[in-house]
Amino acid sequence: MAKIEPGMEAMLDMYFFETNSLLEQLDEILLRTEQANAFDSEDIKEIFRIMHTIKGSSAMMGFDNLSVLAHKAEDMFFVIRENPELVTDVSFVYDLVFQVSDSYKAQIEAIQNNVGGEYEQFNFDELIDKLLKAKDKLSGEAIGEAPAAEAAPAAAAPASSDKQKTSVRVFFEDGCQMENLRAFLLINTIREECSFLEYYPADVETNPETSKEIIEHGFLITFSAEDNQDYILKQIETALNVQSYEVLAAPTEAPAAEAPKAEIPPEPAKEAVQAAPENPAATPAPTESAIEKAQAAVANAAAQGGSQKQSLISVNLAKLDALNDIVGEIITTESMVISNPDLEGLELESFSKAARDLKKLTGELQDTVMSIRMVPLSGVFQKMNRIVRDMRKKLGKDVEFVMEGEDTEVDKSIVDSLQDPLMHLVRNCMDHGIEENVNDRTANGKPAKGTLKLTAQNSSGEVVITVSDDGAGIDPEKILAKARRQGVLTKPESEYTVKEIQNLILLPGFSTNEQVTEFSGRGVGMDVVKANVEKCNGTIVVDSKKGEGTTFTIKIPLTLAIIDGMEISVGDIVFTVPISTIRESFKVEPEQILRDTDGNEMIMLRGICYPILRMHEKFGIETEVTDLKEGILLLVETDNKSMCIFADKLIGEQQVVVKPFPKYLARYDIKGEGLSGCTIMGDGSISLIIDTNTLIG
Amino acid sequence: MTNDVIKEAVAKQQSGDRKLVADNTILGKVMTFNIGEQVYGIEIQHVVEIIGMQRITKVPHVPDYIKGIINVRSKVVPVIDIRTRFGKPEIPVTSHTCIITLSFNETSVGIIVDNVANVEDIHSSDISATPENKNVNTNAFIQYMIRSDDNSEQTKLILDVAKLLDEQEA
Repeated sequence: MAKIEPGMEAMLDMYFFETNSLLEQLDEILLRTEQANAFDSEDIKEIFRIMHTIKGSSAMMGFDNLSVLAHKAEDMFFVIRENPELVTDVSFVYDLVFQVSDSYKAQIEAIQNNVGGEYEQFNFDELIDKLLKAKDKLSGEAIGEAPAAEAAPAAAAPASSDKQKTSVRVFFEDGCQMENLRAFLLINTIREECSFLEYYPADVETNPETSKEIIEHGFLITFSAEDNQDYILKQIETALNVQSYEVLAAPTEAPAAEAPKAEIPPEPAKEAVQAAPENPAATPAPTESAIEKAQAAVANAAAQGGSQKQSLISVNLAKLDALNDIVGEIITTESMVISNPDLEGLELESFSKAARDLKKLTGELQDTVMSIRMVPLSGVFQKMNRIVRDMRKKLGKDVEFVMEGEDTEVDKSIVDSLQDPLMHLVRNCMDHGIEENVNDRTANGKPAKGTLKLTAQNSSGEVVITVSDDGAGIDPEKILAKARRQGVLTKPESEYTVKEIQNLILLPGFSTNEQVTEFSGRGVGMDVVKANVEKCNGTIVVDSKKGEGTTFTIKIPLTLAIIDGMEISVGDIVFTVPISTIRESFKVEPEQILRDTDGNEMIMLRGICYPILRMHEKFGIETEVTDLKEGILLLVETDNKSMCIFADKLIGEQQVVVKPFPKYLARYDIKGEGLSGCTIMGDGSISLIIDTNTLIG
Repeated sequence: MTNDVIKEAVAKQQSGDRKLVADNTILGKVMTFNIGEQVYGIEIQHVVEIIGMQRITKVPHVPDYIKGIINVRSKVVPVIDIRTRFGKPEIPVTSHTCIITLSFNETSVGIIVDNVANVEDIHSSDISATPENKNVNTNAFIQYMIRSDDNSEQTKLILDVAKLLDEQEA
């Protein structure tokens, strides 16, 4: 057991957040590049940066094993970065880095679950050993393939150190920011042309603090170039954001006039971007592409990289909830002020105008606050991509993973609760869905490569997520046989429709897989999926055709917090009925009412008979409207069940913020009686929200 | 104030040890209110705020004494009528009737009282335990009593908020 360093607890949350998001980023890069089967230099740099950051923050937090692990991974990528031409067969690198990423996640989870600061410290020696071997292997290849002189600038440096050296002091434009990185990019641009290269401050790449030094004293470069010294000076001159430079110690044969101080015209940025493509002839042929690339990278970084990352901040969800509450209060208070009884009968032209403006602004405020909580599903989808990748390898199934609509936005709390169900579904599709044997696929006229598709889309206040595979599908016979054995059938077998049979697999303890594997088959899972989805008021259905594939469709309301509701009044109580469940509302004539033998009222609509539920009777409310023809009927429907509810009158449509019933009332079975929560209306009064599903059931 | 402190104070009272009784410290504050003629108190740390009587939304399928829910600055708070809870007859709402909102273990509840009287100190010398079996119905919710030395004031019954909020169907 290891202990979290005292005093670091406060930083833990931040560390977890940062490291987890970096690991997610890492996974994403790896998955993307693995498909292309090649790292490009930007990806390598990014991975290097991620490893470096994790190393630093882990060391700071005192998680030494994590820090060492990241360090070794960083070392390996150092070799790859320095020898990008090597990336021919690096599949073992992917496996290693995924292992590193998983080890990290496991250790971080262990730390997160610490008891009184104590957590289990994992041993990564084996993995570190593998990383070292991989590094040796890579650097062995590096020396073998690349002649020593080109291998690494550092190695080449001593050999040519007796050559003529030039020192240049470079100043960047005022306020261009991130001077250290700009300096580093500048070094990268000229590195290939120099046989010797030294610069100060030396740690510009990793230490943002050096920016200050560079602003104050300039960036000092000492280099020695064979014949193209002028060319390098030109490179420095045209580099992005370089304000001016001066040559400090020119080689003796260089004309003095060339040196002193060269002011650069004020539009260096544009020039730099255009320079490379426009004057390819001016640059020496062999380095052309490298320079272009570097300059494009500089331009890119300046154009998007820097500003984009800066524009995101992370906020504690509790603060957003608090903000949400306050906005709710403001809106309620606003309508209390505007429709204050004291103002009744007064002609207040200026007041009404100001009130309208206020109303508009608070409306915008509310929309903005709601939108803050909305996050795209892409994070969850990426995780599924990772799971598919791992299982593809382990199960030896060739499966293509297709994502659609990953930028669909849903409420943060829903994203969190979706992760587990989706994971189960994806695993199920991989394990049970896609055929074990490729011949089974081709025999059915399907391509050898399986497809697993994850889609998301918005449709009328709901987000619809599907997980589908083109695998073997569900065999109703098998399910039925299994169900028979387990005794879960509730009616005669012949009365089950195919759809009903398929949905049996969502029952607890139901698994048709003969073998229990690492991934699935224990019979827990599908019912957990169902429970999780239902927890966020969603529904899940299975649709499968034997031999063609299976599709799971999950429908979940966009946000738990807001629904479109119809306000209806019964006596002095106002109820909110979710509009999504209302089919129609209408007045009735007494002759339309039918009665069954128990005296229950029913109504015949378009040939279908619906039971009538009198709200005032159901909830014991005193009201003057008891005659069906005086009130109004609403036809509501969920899950193919429908009924008519009888209320005094319709008040109107409103978007309402759903609030759960107070904790104190939890011991009473209010929810079981068909009420899902309550909401505060514009005038400050409370309305009860009807849960159509339980009301009908 | 912890139960231990109260028990200790009560024990000192019952031991009749003059020296201990003379050790008169202030243990905290109570907010007192009336229900009928009787003065009740609630330790101040449980009191969130006092609000005027307002429209209460009824909730179906709960006991009589839960009058419903109210909106206290965008928070939905259930309201208990202490009168009904203690088996006393309901009286019409007056201008003095108000709702005291309490919070205990993150549970919020409002209680309807006839009127709010005062906020006063609890002296350890004034505390005494509740007599056994005097009134089964209300006794369950009384944590201890505060009596006044010179009998100038009525004895105050201090409610046990934990029991009031957490009790299962009593």
